This record gives sequence, structure tokens and C-alpha cells, in this order.
Amino acid sequence: MSSLLEAQHVSKMFGSGLLSKGQTLAVDGVSLIVREDNPSITAIAGESGSGKTTLARLLLGVTQPTSGSILYRGEKLTAMDGRARKNFRREVQAIFQDPYEAYNPVYKVDQVLTTPVRKFRLAHSKDDELRRVEESLRMAGLRPEDTLGRYPHQLSGGQRQRIMVARALLLRPRVLLADEPVSMVDASLRATILESLVKLRRELGISLIYITHDLTTAYQVSQNIYVLYRGSVAEVGSVDRVIKEPKHPYTQLLVESIPLPDPDVRWTTNGSRPGSTAAQAKGVEKENHGCKFATRCPYVMAECWETPPPLFRIDEDRAAACYLYKDNPAVSGKEMAESIARPPVAV
Amino acid sequence: MADASVLDVRDLHVSYRTPAGPVRAVNGVSFVVRPGERLGLVGESGSGKTTTALSLMRLLQEPAVVEGGEVLLDGTDLLRLSEGDMRMARFAQISLIPQGAMNSLNPMMKVGEQLRDTIRAHRNGGTAKGSTDGRIREVLESVELQAAVMNSYPHELSGGMKQRVCIAMAILLNPKVIIADEPTSALDVVVQRQVMETLRRVQEALGASVILVGHDMGLMAQVVDRVGVMYGGKLVELGPVRDIFKDPLHPYTQLLIKSLPNLETKEDFRGIPGLTPSLLAPPPGCMFHPRCPHAMPRCSVDVPVLAEVKSERWVACHLYDLEANAA
Repeated sequence: MSSLLEAQHVSKMFGSGLLSKGQTLAVDGVSLIVREDNPSITAIAGESGSGKTTLARLLLGVTQPTSGSILYRGEKLTAMDGRARKNFRREVQAIFQDPYEAYNPVYKVDQVLTTPVRKFRLAHSKDDELRRVEESLRMAGLRPEDTLGRYPHQLSGGQRQRIMVARALLLRPRVLLADEPVSMVDASLRATILESLVKLRRELGISLIYITHDLTTAYQVSQNIYVLYRGSVAEVGSVDRVIKEPKHPYTQLLVESIPLPDPDVRWTTNGSRPGSTAAQAKGVEKENHGCKFATRCPYVMAECWETPPPLFRIDEDRAAACYLYKDNPAVSGKEMAESIARPPVAV
Repeated sequence: MADASVLDVRDLHVSYRTPAGPVRAVNGVSFVVRPGERLGLVGESGSGKTTTALSLMRLLQEPAVVEGGEVLLDGTDLLRLSEGDMRMARFAQISLIPQGAMNSLNPMMKVGEQLRDTIRAHRNGGTAKGSTDGRIREVLESVELQAAVMNSYPHELSGGMKQRVCIAMAILLNPKVIIADEPTSALDVVVQRQVMETLRRVQEALGASVILVGHDMGLMAQVVDRVGVMYGGKLVELGPVRDIFKDPLHPYTQLLIKSLPNLETKEDFRGIPGLTPSLLAPPPGCMFHPRCPHAMPRCSVDVPVLAEVKSERWVACHLYDLEANAA
């Protein structure tokens, strides 16, 4: 078992006080595995409030879990010594949504590239530093002569985002976590950035965790997907299965709502779905200890209000947390994470 | 453009006066909006789509200046109305659902009060509260909100509900044209779909026309009848949405449509090489020629003019000069 980055049943509670009233469970018992021997792109998809960014922060070790652990190379982040922690900081890199915020506007963009080289003492000389910087810019699809020596505002959003990719590459990471990397980028440049991300896996064997609200790009770039709903995994599995034949009613709703760029495949107008706006307007939020999606679910059953559904394994490489599939075997989040992270068996 | 139009925009020019010189954000844009249709204006950031939308409402602020053109609403040029007459026309004749509309509501005022204000501003007193509230209730119901929402403050509502309030406000006085500027860009996909379906339903019931401004080609494909593609402050292509997706004419539209992610292909990325043009120092000739795979010598000299090259299909590109002359 060569797990590189692993989340073991992590939860994160926000808010304070002993009473559960003011508390929000942003991430609720999520397990996820990225393996070293099978570089892959794992999508974490969900809407606002699904906990996807909190999960990202947990995986990066910048937020501490309320329960459960994050492990890197088998070692708990919280138990690491300085040396292991520095190694983790180098090998796990991140890029974020807004590629402008990451820059100091008064410095040339060179600074964001040379700082990590110096901090981690990657280069033995000035020339070596420049060579490394230029090489990583090219890997991210940029021409060094068009980028170096400029200020952030002189570059387009797409260029700024690719410099962030280049910066991450300088450190030769094993895992790159990309949180909504293209949601602020124009359509014509989006494809170029996604392509550079996919190349990282194909050509450099870097694993990616792609966090997004956009199922279409998740489908395009990733192998596996975790669909989060209010902090819990609603459906998990190979991206082809989950997007092409979604099983969880929430995933079905998400997939149906994608505005496909095809005027011949329009949304089927079925008006408001049960429990959508009408129920919200009335403030109908039933006292609910069961499935979090029950209030919006068109197939809700009595048992859905009782206990949260476990994951039920539907195929070898997919499971859904929904009682519609209770005849299938229940499976733990960890087992499921293990089965989809495994390298494909050579036939 | 002899056919019936409710809104006729002719040769609109808008500049932003900056210390570095004028930025021509909208540079000679013409189109008509037909009664009851949904017209999309799509473009990337800096293409001039929002500036166009705001200038139709005369809501541009310094340093933006309308340099020329006409905006004819049923024959009346909105650009030449007095400020007072324009204020009367807003909401009653032409209304706007602004970008980030959810944040355009007054946080200190109950929703009902804000809607009442809109009605009052357009009636010269003497409107009984009863009849006003009746209309408000009716409009809120039409956007699938409970009348009780009237007594709520905006922060008590979800994003989708606030967006519905903005739609309610936009249709309150039965305008002929509703401009929706990225009305759902801050919403999740499920809510986006519900809100867009509501907008479509109330627009059809009202018989109003909608101009949907946005960057999302997927949303355009789902919602509009015709679409205009903007690039560098100009309209480069205009036509029925099905035709544009099936057979785009302008090379920019062709590349834009190829670049869209779909659920058919994986790991097949086709971005558009190059960068969007600087509006401070625009390239000579066609704005797209530096990125265009079909660029010809004359493209860097002559500015192509939007022309109807076949029935209902308008394009501004020298590739179609022969067709344009014949038509």
C-alpha cells in the first residue's frame, strides 16, 4: 500500500460553544487516498457550502481536523518533525482560484518564482536558478521572455494562473492541489490551463486534486471524483460512471443542471423540483438526523430521516450514499477510497 | 433590418476616458431586439458586453462616455431623453437585472418596501397601498416566492431567492425589454437552472424581450433564441443560436465553440492561442487578426463590417466579403 496523501475519516467543525446550535460540520467524515504508484487526477466537486475548500485546507495542513487525520507518506501531519514537514510543504503544492491575490503587486512576477527556489535551496547558482525558473515556465506553457521582468498587472489572468502552476512545478511536487483554478479565467484560456494541468500528470507523474463546482471540466480532466454535499461524500467513483450514469439523486440533479453548450440538448423543463425553492421559502427545514439531502430529494423515504446513509457499493469502482441502493453492500469511505485509487490491473 | 424590432441599437460607441487615452470599450455596435425574443450577448472579459448593456439603460458612470449612436426603444432614442424622462423609462419600459444582482438590494430595507418604492417612483402619488401590494404579491408569486418574502430583509434570503426578488423588480412594471447581465454567475448550477427557468417563464408570460449578457456559452445555448458574439468592443457575429453552434462563421466563434468543455470528449483541450486585444492600443484592421488562423493581408488593414452574409446570419469577417457583396 503506497498511499501518498490520505484523508482518514476527517471532519471539521466550525463555530463555538458546547451547544450544537452554533456549530457547522463543514467536512463530515471524508476519506480520500492518492497513491504514489498511480498518478491520477481526483476531482472534488460540490456547490458552495459543500465543504470542498475546507477539505482542501485540511489536506494542505493549514486547517486542523476536528477528528480524523491527514497522512502524508503514512505519517500524520500533526505528528511530523520539522524535516518531514518541510518535505511535505515542498511535495504538496497548491494553486488557487484568484491568480491575482497570490501576487504582491509591487514586485515583478519573478519574485514568486525565485522565492521558493531560494527558500528550499534548490539552485546552486544564479544561472541554475534562472534555468530552473525558465524550464518550469515552459512546462506551464509560457514563454519566459514574455513573462519574466513583468509586473502582475501586465499579464492576463490566464498567464498569472500559469505562473502559479510554474511556481508549483519548481518544487517538483508529488501532489498538486488546484482549487477552482479556471473559474475566473475566460473560456478561450481555460482550455490551455486545463491542458497544462493534465500534462503534469501525463508527463511528470504528478497527482492532482482538482477542486471544482464545474462537473464538465471535472469530467474532462480527472479519473476519479468525490461529489460532496454539505460536507459528506454523496457519490464517489470513476468519473465516467459518476457523470455519465449518476446514481445519487443529488448527483443526478447536478448533472441535469449543467448548461451544456448545445442548443439541441436543452434543460428538460420540469418546473421547480420538489423541495427546492418553495420549501426553502417556507423555512421548512425538518429536524433531520438522517440524509442531508432528504429535504431536497424527490425520492425521499421514511428511513432517510432516521440515520445518515452509508456508502453502498454499486459497481466495483463506484458507491453512493443513498438508501435507494441499500440492497447493495455497504462500504466504508476508506475501502472505497482504496479501491478507486488502486492502479488499473493490466489485462 | 426591416423586420419588427422593439429595440434598435445603432452604431453605439462608448469610451472610457483614462489618463493613458480613451479605451474604446464599445466600438460601433448595432443590433435589433425583436418583440418577445431572448437575445444573448456573449463575450469574454473586456469584450464590451456589460458596457453595452449599461449604456442601453444609461447607467454608465464616469469615466465612461457614450460617444455616439442611437438606442431606439419603439422609435424613441433613449440616449436623447432628459434625465427625468429616462428615469421614468427605466423599469417601466426597459429594466435591468444587474451583475451580482443579489448585492444590489438595499440591506436596510425590507423587500416589500423596495418593491413598493419602484412602483411609487413611477406613479404620481395617489396609488393606494392595497393595489400596490396586490401587484407585488402577484409578481412575487410569479417568480415562485411566497408573499411573506415582502417582510424579509435581503440577508434573510438565499442567493437564489434574492435573485428572484431582482427578477420580480425587473418585471414589476411590465417593461418591454429586460436586460439580464450575468444574472446567475454567482449561483450554483442547480439554482442557476431554476432561476433561468423562472426568468424564461415570466418573460414569456409578459411577452417582453430579454437581452441576456454573459460569458457562458452553455447558458446561451440553453436559454436564448439568437446570440451576438462580442470581441474587442465589436459585435463579430449575430445569428440564431442553433446556427451559430452548428455552423459558426467567424473564426473567433469557431475557436470559442471548439474550446468549450463538453461531456463527449476527454482530455481534448483547444484553447485559443494568443491574448485578447488591448483596447488602449487596438490592432489595426480586424481586432481578431493577430490570433486568427485565417488572417489575410487585408485583415490587418481594413476593419471588417458586420454584414448579413446569408439569411439571418451576420458576421464581421473578410472571409465572407464576396457573400456580403452579393447579398
